[in-house]
Amino acid sequence: MKLGYTIIYVADVPKTIAFYEAAFGLQQRFIHESNLYGEMETGETVLAFAGNEAAEMNGLAILPNDPKGPAAGWEICFVTDDVAAAYDRALSNGCRPVSAPSLKPWGQSVSYVRDLDGCIVEIASPIQKPT
Amino acid sequence: MIVQHHRDTPKTVTPIITGPATRAYTVSYDAGDQWFGLRLRPESGAALWKGAMAQATDTVLRGQEAIDLVPPLAELDGRHLTLKEIAPLVLDHTAQSVDTRLTRALDVLHASGGRIRMTTLAGFLSCSTRQLNRLFRANTGLSTKTYAQLIQFHRTLGLITRARLPITAAAFEGGYADHAHMTRAFGRFGGFAPSRVPPDLTLPQLFPQ
Repeated sequence: MKLGYTIIYVADVPKTIAFYEAAFGLQQRFIHESNLYGEMETGETVLAFAGNEAAEMNGLAILPNDPKGPAAGWEICFVTDDVAAAYDRALSNGCRPVSAPSLKPWGQSVSYVRDLDGCIVEIASPIQKPT
Repeated sequence: MIVQHHRDTPKTVTPIITGPATRAYTVSYDAGDQWFGLRLRPESGAALWKGAMAQATDTVLRGQEAIDLVPPLAELDGRHLTLKEIAPLVLDHTAQSVDTRLTRALDVLHASGGRIRMTTLAGFLSCSTRQLNRLFRANTGLSTKTYAQLIQFHRTLGLITRARLPITAAAFEGGYADHAHMTRAFGRFGGFAPSRVPPDLTLPQLFPQ
């Protein structure tokens, strides 16, 4: 077994995909014609979005994300060499700041924002392999 | 809103308007009868029931009673109208548009399987639980709490029948505190115990399954 998908339930799939394209520079793979499911081009492990209605269709009960409330207890993390530029880009495209880039004792630059639905997104540099 | 065509007298139709149902009920019909109808979003209840929303819960109007509420339904008699032709007859376009906060509240409530706390739900909409309850009662005819309990019941029923969960697992995932809690809800809304779901139960689906 391997991790295939991370699927986030959101209020508006096309709007979220457009947001992720602008804020994080990702590209969409496709949006289903129902507008209830869409995937980003994230390589082998897919980041996907599904409409909150899709949860009910699948028999799931979820607590929808709320930008005004505390975030759900998980995050996604994008890795880049230029954390400061990615953080600025995210903020100028509608993300709310949580923590500006800072250098951790183990040498990693780490920042946090919240997306349009209030989900936590971490933007960090790769962990340096010990030389 | 349902239109019934009778088997023996297909030209005679019976218009039926049902309010929000909080109890199971039996529908009698003859083999060969046919129905078609419009299912409105719950927040549109007031557009159909107008001033009578408060009396709509668990009410079924048939024939003349339905026509009294929506007079254009009289035009159906002896005619075969498509849904597209019926919709404008039935819906009151002068009705005030529904508060978008209620539409959002209903979406969140459904997504949560009726399990979200009322204070959390009100927080989504930046309003108080009292305001939320007023919106629910005025437009759907039900309190927020009753609406949530109905969603919870229907979902848990689906966990037993469609997802084939054991009853204890369904109670837990459905959000019932214990078996007795679930049994009370099933008795109130469905009229049966969780262990005795009628095999021929027909559940109106919000989505095609």
